[in-house]
Amino acid sequence: MATITETTKKEVKEIVYSFFAEECEVDIGQINDNTSIIKDLDGDSLMFLELIEMFKKKYNLDIELKVIGKYAVKHPVATIGQLIEMQLLIIEYENRLLELDQ
Amino acid sequence: MPNEVVITGMGLITSLGLSLEENWKNLVAGKSGVKKITHFDASSLNTRFAAEVPPDFEELSRTYIKKRAASQMTRVTRMCVTAAKIAVADAGLNFELTDRTRCSVIMGVVNTGNSSAEKDTTPQNTVFKTMTNSMPAWISLEYQLAGPNYAVNTACASSAYAIAFGYEMIRSGQSDIVIVGGADSIINFEEIQGFNALYALSVANDPPEQASKPFSRDRDGFVIGEGAGVLILESKSHALARNAAIHAEIAGYALTSEGYNIMAPMKDGEGMAQTMEMAIKNAGIAKNEVGYINAHGTSTELNDRYETMAIKKVFGDFASQVPVSSSKSMLGHTIGAAGAIEAIITVQSLKHGILPPTINYLQPDPDLDLDYVPNEARKKDIRIALSNSFGFGGHNATLVIKKH
Repeated sequence: MATITETTKKEVKEIVYSFFAEECEVDIGQINDNTSIIKDLDGDSLMFLELIEMFKKKYNLDIELKVIGKYAVKHPVATIGQLIEMQLLIIEYENRLLELDQ
Repeated sequence: MPNEVVITGMGLITSLGLSLEENWKNLVAGKSGVKKITHFDASSLNTRFAAEVPPDFEELSRTYIKKRAASQMTRVTRMCVTAAKIAVADAGLNFELTDRTRCSVIMGVVNTGNSSAEKDTTPQNTVFKTMTNSMPAWISLEYQLAGPNYAVNTACASSAYAIAFGYEMIRSGQSDIVIVGGADSIINFEEIQGFNALYALSVANDPPEQASKPFSRDRDGFVIGEGAGVLILESKSHALARNAAIHAEIAGYALTSEGYNIMAPMKDGEGMAQTMEMAIKNAGIAKNEVGYINAHGTSTELNDRYETMAIKKVFGDFASQVPVSSSKSMLGHTIGAAGAIEAIITVQSLKHGILPPTINYLQPDPDLDLDYVPNEARKKDIRIALSNSFGFGGHNATLVIKKH
């Protein structure tokens, strides 16, 4: 279980904001934590998977996609802020993510 | 009483241009879009030329398709979506004011072009780039249309079939608007090698622009082309209610199967003749009303011979009075897109009263004696025209298009 520092939080936020700005062709200044991924950015679910792959590589995470899938069913992500929160949980708990619901 | 079906929008992307106007100007001028292949190194192939869409297509597509979506599409799918958006704009459609449950999409798709010539395919986008329903799906997604969207594959007749099915959906009252057409490119190493092995392609490498010569004595096979053609079909009452400009009307069609051979057309063009006969009957027109035939005209030995025989069988003595031309002499064979591209050219002929030529017709075949509109476009006011499409596997289609 990793410890989430302020540096990690900042880093994850920057990566997520930059990713959506680049992929959705919007100014990064137009994105905030309340921005809706689908409605405001015309994003798609595949982007979530791409970000997970990026973070898995960056933080050398041990987590199976099915674990994230099960967690996401109960905790749907609609906004950028929610997505960042989930990414941080994934980094912190990895394959133990579902224990949060127990 | 079945609904009448009109064409209110068209989008065309071919080797001769990225707009309807540019294409028409070049077709009337008798220009060839065939050049040496640039998509990949073709130096080891017997055929080293094709009719490629100009490279500035990429810039055009970026104005119509967002980067994120574009990364999940092949170049061919982008051609299809771009042509569809051009057609929707041409039709002046605002889907906010339209019942989306009555809007459908049908595309003729042989494959999506996710070949070795395709760039930037990754594990993340392989499925989206390969799925053959991607073209109609992206168009439906773009406009949030709720009527059915699907792809039809009948080889070189695919997008003519799409037009026929769209016509039926409107005739039967299931839809008010159907976006129909297709896009294709088989300009890649494997496909050219495969068609070379079947002796189906021209190997007249020099000069490439003279290789496609339908109905000529020295024709030696078809020339591969690529492109997209999309039409907006609409019920006439719906089009009139929104004061839409109408390009032309679909008067009827016929689709048949030959049940004969996976590659060769039925002997003496029997299947082709049957298809044209049925289409004329379906449209309720007299044979002497047909003022022009946009032929399948592939520049292969058998197709051109049999299509000529079929036209003579159907029209009898009147056949010599019906001008017949092959757009493939200029655009090459765009396979799944050909039916739609050639239907659009037929519409343009009706609208402008100009018949595009069969270029490279320098050595007439003594056995083929119809009026092939040789080498130069011709002014002729026509009211009704046929567009033929015939595919490997014995898929035949004839569309009957009427001036509005």
